[in-house]
Amino acid sequence: MAAELLRADDVSSGYGKVQVLWGAGLAVEAAETVVLLGANGAGKTTLLKVLIGLLPAWSGRIQFRHEDITRLRPDQRVRRRMAYMSELGVFPGLTIEENLRIGGQFAPPAQLRARLAELFETFPALADKRRALASSLSGGQRKMLGIAKALAADPLLLVMDEPSAGLSPLFVAEVIAVLRRFRGSGLALLIAEQNVAFLDLADRVYTLDSGRIGFAGTVAALHQEDALNRAYFGLG
Amino acid sequence: MLAHAILSGLVFGCYFTLVGLGLNLIFGVMRIVNLAHGDVVMLGAFAAFWLFALIGLHPLISSVIVLAAFALLGLPVYYLVVPRLLAARDSEMLSIILFFGVQQIIEALATIAFGTSERSIPGRVLGRGPLHVLGQTLPVAWIVSAAVSLLAVALVYLYLYRSRVGTLTRAVMVSRDEALASGIDVHRVSALAFAIGVALAGLAGVFSPFMLGSATPAMGGDVNLAAFAVIVIGSLGDPRGTMLGGLIYGVALMLMQTYMSAWANLLPNLLLIAVLLVRPTGLLGRQVRRA
Repeated sequence: MAAELLRADDVSSGYGKVQVLWGAGLAVEAAETVVLLGANGAGKTTLLKVLIGLLPAWSGRIQFRHEDITRLRPDQRVRRRMAYMSELGVFPGLTIEENLRIGGQFAPPAQLRARLAELFETFPALADKRRALASSLSGGQRKMLGIAKALAADPLLLVMDEPSAGLSPLFVAEVIAVLRRFRGSGLALLIAEQNVAFLDLADRVYTLDSGRIGFAGTVAALHQEDALNRAYFGLG
Repeated sequence: MLAHAILSGLVFGCYFTLVGLGLNLIFGVMRIVNLAHGDVVMLGAFAAFWLFALIGLHPLISSVIVLAAFALLGLPVYYLVVPRLLAARDSEMLSIILFFGVQQIIEALATIAFGTSERSIPGRVLGRGPLHVLGQTLPVAWIVSAAVSLLAVALVYLYLYRSRVGTLTRAVMVSRDEALASGIDVHRVSALAFAIGVALAGLAGVFSPFMLGSATPAMGGDVNLAAFAVIVIGSLGDPRGTMLGGLIYGVALMLMQTYMSAWANLLPNLLLIAVLLVRPTGLLGRQVRRA
């Protein structure tokens, strides 16, 4: 059995006095791809923000590599090799190279240089425009930059918030193809999505419905139990 | 007369860039409006005056001391005030109210401590005789003040665009949320920017007796107005715009003082109103926010 990387138990949180998450819990093992499925407003982004430390957990516990990180700041979690790609994912007013350097901000200079060279090899379209502003990129290219920026942190776990948001089906397929390349590289992925196309990548799936985990299991079990309908349409 | 007005306007523009730079840096990084900025400039002016009057310290040496002391002063002020402000729902509006109060307190305490008399440092301290530049005659004190201002602006530019922490600072300027999500220690970056902003205001204060004529505890309001005009012309939150705004403000001020001197004091208000009505995004295009 693979080592457990991330574990969230009984997490509740929200904004102001509005509670969004009600005792949600999930786990991600090393090198595993987990998809968190849910409709708009289900609480996916809120759960990811709590996991990365952008929102405080009102209750519950979050562990990363068996260390309690519930009260740690986002930068302290990134230092522990947990990266987050938000829906925006990049700094539009900075150049591509600057974005990548921010992603790899905690690496020693020589290591960062090597990592950037590696990333430019993986994403050649970005290498050609390294001095261009991120705002000059197309939506799909920005997503690639967002992924590259998160990878620059050399994470053990990459937490992604709706990588398909704002993309045409063609670019969604491209993003999935890129992520597929990283499966088996030792990188664990936690992808919050409402696009079921990402199930192709998943080792395991969680569904989130009104801030509560509805289903946890494999993709095959998800289809058997009709959990998709429950997550999206409240059926069943 | 026109050439002299434009040339001296450019020299003053460099100085006004320095006046606005700290305010804009703080707004750009933290999205808070430091209404006490003008009073920090005033404190810098009095620091330079007393250091000169009591121990005869040259203003150029005072400027280094003020720069370091005000930066160190800015750090505890940041940690005392700003994180709480940023946690508030409407931090921009709250900052206006809070720093207005701070401004009133600083001015009142300065009036009690220093009295209401105008204080100045003789211009000859920075160099004797006028300088001939492009066929025009300008006081050496103006040139030295402008040169120091330009040096400070250049150093801020290098910090923002050529250093690692500067890149992180610009990232926070672009998106505070994305910066947090990327693992940037936003409070550390903001504290540094706040300290630099306060230090720049103090530095502007050191040279205000030469550029603005004298220092009084009540000067903060006028300095604030000029600083706001400079950064609104250039674009709020964009340090490159501050240079443009400073030069435009300086030249406009000198043209007004040359041809319509009775109306010159109205200039900051007129420029602020004109820019906000005609191009509220500022000349470099960043949108003026609710503040």
